[in-house]
Amino acid sequence: MTALTAASNPPKPATKEDDMKRSEMMRRGRRIAATAAALTLVATGAALAQSDGGAAGAAEAASAFSLSPVYHILVAHFPVALWMTAYLFILIRTFSDSEIAVRLQRAVWPVAVLGTLAGAVTYGLGLTIYPWSAITESPLGRNHILLATWTLSYWTVMTVLGYRFRRHLFDGAQRWITFALATIGALVITITGTLGGSLTGSPSLVTKSLSWIGWNVYTTFYLPTWMLVTFFAGAVVLIVIGFAGRGHRA
Amino acid sequence: MMKQTKYLAASVTIFSGLLVLAWVTHGTGVVRNDPDRNIFIPEELTTELQVRAAYDGDRIWFRYRWPAERPSIFNDVLVYQDGEWIARGGEEIGPDPDFLVEDRVAMMIDDGSVPLFSRYGGYITIGDRLSTFTGAPESEEERTKYLPSTRTDPNEFDSVLPESDLETLRAAGQFLDLWQWRSSRSNPIGLGDDGLVAEERGGDEGTGPYRTNFDSETGQPLFMFNPDVAGYRALSIDAVTGGDVGFNDTYYLSDETAVAFDPNADWQNGDTVPRRMLRQTSGSRGDVAMPQAARWNDGFWDVTLVRDMDTGNELDDKIFRDGGNYDLAFAVFRNASTMRWHYVSLPVSLGLEQPAQMVAERIEPGTEPDWSQPWTEVSMFYPGQVTWGRLTDPRLHPGADRIAERVPVAVRHSEEQLALYGVQMEFAEEIRTQWIWTLIASLSLIIGLGININLLMRRREDAK
Repeated sequence: MTALTAASNPPKPATKEDDMKRSEMMRRGRRIAATAAALTLVATGAALAQSDGGAAGAAEAASAFSLSPVYHILVAHFPVALWMTAYLFILIRTFSDSEIAVRLQRAVWPVAVLGTLAGAVTYGLGLTIYPWSAITESPLGRNHILLATWTLSYWTVMTVLGYRFRRHLFDGAQRWITFALATIGALVITITGTLGGSLTGSPSLVTKSLSWIGWNVYTTFYLPTWMLVTFFAGAVVLIVIGFAGRGHRA
Repeated sequence: MMKQTKYLAASVTIFSGLLVLAWVTHGTGVVRNDPDRNIFIPEELTTELQVRAAYDGDRIWFRYRWPAERPSIFNDVLVYQDGEWIARGGEEIGPDPDFLVEDRVAMMIDDGSVPLFSRYGGYITIGDRLSTFTGAPESEEERTKYLPSTRTDPNEFDSVLPESDLETLRAAGQFLDLWQWRSSRSNPIGLGDDGLVAEERGGDEGTGPYRTNFDSETGQPLFMFNPDVAGYRALSIDAVTGGDVGFNDTYYLSDETAVAFDPNADWQNGDTVPRRMLRQTSGSRGDVAMPQAARWNDGFWDVTLVRDMDTGNELDDKIFRDGGNYDLAFAVFRNASTMRWHYVSLPVSLGLEQPAQMVAERIEPGTEPDWSQPWTEVSMFYPGQVTWGRLTDPRLHPGADRIAERVPVAVRHSEEQLALYGVQMEFAEEIRTQWIWTLIASLSLIIGLGININLLMRRREDAK
C-alpha cells in the first residue's frame, strides 16, 4: 500500500500537520470499520437466532408480544415520506446550484436522520405483528422483511454519508455518485412499500411492474448459493477498494 | 479528486452490477423435481375450466370443458413380457411419460352443511400427510382427503371419530358429494362415478364403473379383447404409449368388447390389455351418468355429467332443489397426471336460478339442455402440498387469524398466488434457509458499500 501510494503521488516532505491529519483519518476509518463489523455481527446473530438454521422441525419462535398491524402501517408512512423527501432534495441539488437547491440540500441529513429513526421504529413494529415462524413461512412476508432490511440499512448508510459530508456530497462529480446512491435508495423504499401493501391485500401497479421485469413478489426473493458467495466477496472487494482509494488519496 | 471519483464510480458500478445480477439469478437453485420426496412441479401452474349447468326439476346436468394437449385414454394396463403379465401405469409422481394415467374431472358439492367449505373449498379436506405428500407414512392403506370434523384432532390422520359419531355427522349432511369422470375407467361406456368425502374419500354404496382385469392367482388377465369385435386380442404397448390408439379403435374392455382370457393364445412380448374391465354401475354409486361418452377434440375435453336432482340417497348425495344454492369445487387431471398432481379451483357458488357465481339454467321438464348459456370461467391452479393444519396454525401461516375470522380465501389470495405459494411450501425449509442467507449477504454488501463510500468520499478542502 505504501509503495502504491508512493508511486502514484509525487513525494513531498511530510509535515506534523499531515501526520496528524493522516492519523485522524485512520482512526476514523477504524471506527467506521469496527461499527460496521459490529452491525454485521449483530444482524447475523439476530437472523440466525430467529431462524432454525434450516432444520426440518416446526418453527416455534414467536413474537414476544403482538401488536395490531395498524400501528406498523400508520408509522410506516413517516420514514417513507421523510426518506423520499430527502431523495427529492438530493435530486434537486444534483441538478441545480441555485440558492433554493443549496438550502434544501442543508435539510437532507436532518430529514434522513428522522427518516432512519422512524424507519427503525417501523421495522421493530413490523416484527411484532406476526410470529417470526409464521411471517418467514410466507413468501410475501419474507420479501417484505428482506426489502425492509435493505431499506433501513441502506438509508442508515445514506444518513451517515449525509451527516459526514453534507454539502460535499455534491462537490464536483461526487454529486452523480450521490444521485446514483440516492436513486437506488428511493427504489428500495418504493418496493418495500408496495410489498407492505400487497401483504395487506392491496397490490399496486408497482407489484405488477416488478412481475413484468422478472420478479413475481409472491415468490421468495432468494439468491442461489454461488450468488451469496459473490455478494460476500463483493462486500470484501468494496471495502478493499475503499481502503485502497483512501490510501491513494493519502 | 479525479482518481477518487473513479474509485467511487467503480464501487457504485460494482454494487449496482451485483444488484442486477441478483435480480437476474434470484429464485434459482432450490426448486427442482425430486422424485425421492414425491416432488414434481408442473410446467404450467394454472389453467382454465369452463362449466355450465342446467336442470329440469328432475335431473341436473353439468358440462365441463378444459384444455389438454394430448388426451390420455388409458390408465393402468397389463403388458405381456417373457411369459408374464406386468402391470404398468395408473400411478406416477407427476406426469406419466407413457401416458398410462387417465384424464379426469372431479367436482365436490356441498349444500351448506360442511363448515367452511364455501370459504376454503377443498383446502379443508387436506389433512395430515396424505398419500404422495412428502414424508407421508408408507402404508398399504391410501391416506385420502377427509373432513376435519371427522377427527378428534383434525391434524392427526388416525384420530378418526367413533363410528356412531361419524353416522351422526353423515346424517347431519357433513360430507361432500364427489362426482368424477374418468377418461379410461368410466367414459368409454358413458358413465361417471359417484363418491363422497367424509372420514375418507370413497365411493357411494353400490358398484363402480370398473373392476380389476387381473387374476392374482394365475397372474394373468381375466379378459382380453374380443377378436370378432376389435379385430385383435390385445393392443401393442408401443401403439398405446405412442398415442396411436384413438377413439375409433376398440381400446377398452367391457361386456361388448371383451371375452374371457385365452391363456393358450400366441401371446407376443408387448401385447397389452387394460387392467380394468368396465361394467355397469349399481346403487348410489351409479347415480352419475353421461348423456353420451365424451371425446377430446381440438385440444379440449368436453364432458357432460347428469344426475337425478334427488337421488333418494341423502346419506351419499347432496340433493339439488329448485331455487337452491350450493357450493362447488372442481379438480382437473390432465397430461397423464394423477393423485395430487391436479389443478383445483377455489369454491364456486352455484344457484339454481338464484344469484351466484354460476347459475344453473332451468329448462323444460323432459328436455335436454341446448347449452346456449355462457360458460362460467373457473381458474384452476396447482395446489402443492398445503394442509389445513398448516393454514390454521398461527405459527405457520400469517393468515391463520383471518381463517379464524372466516375470511374467505378468495378475499386474500388469487389462484396464481396460491399456486406459487403451493410450490414454495414444497421447499419451505430450503427456501427459508436460502432467504436467511440472502438477508445476511445483502446486508454485508450494503455495509461494505457504506464503508467504501465513507472512505472514498472527500470534502473539497481535503483535496487542497
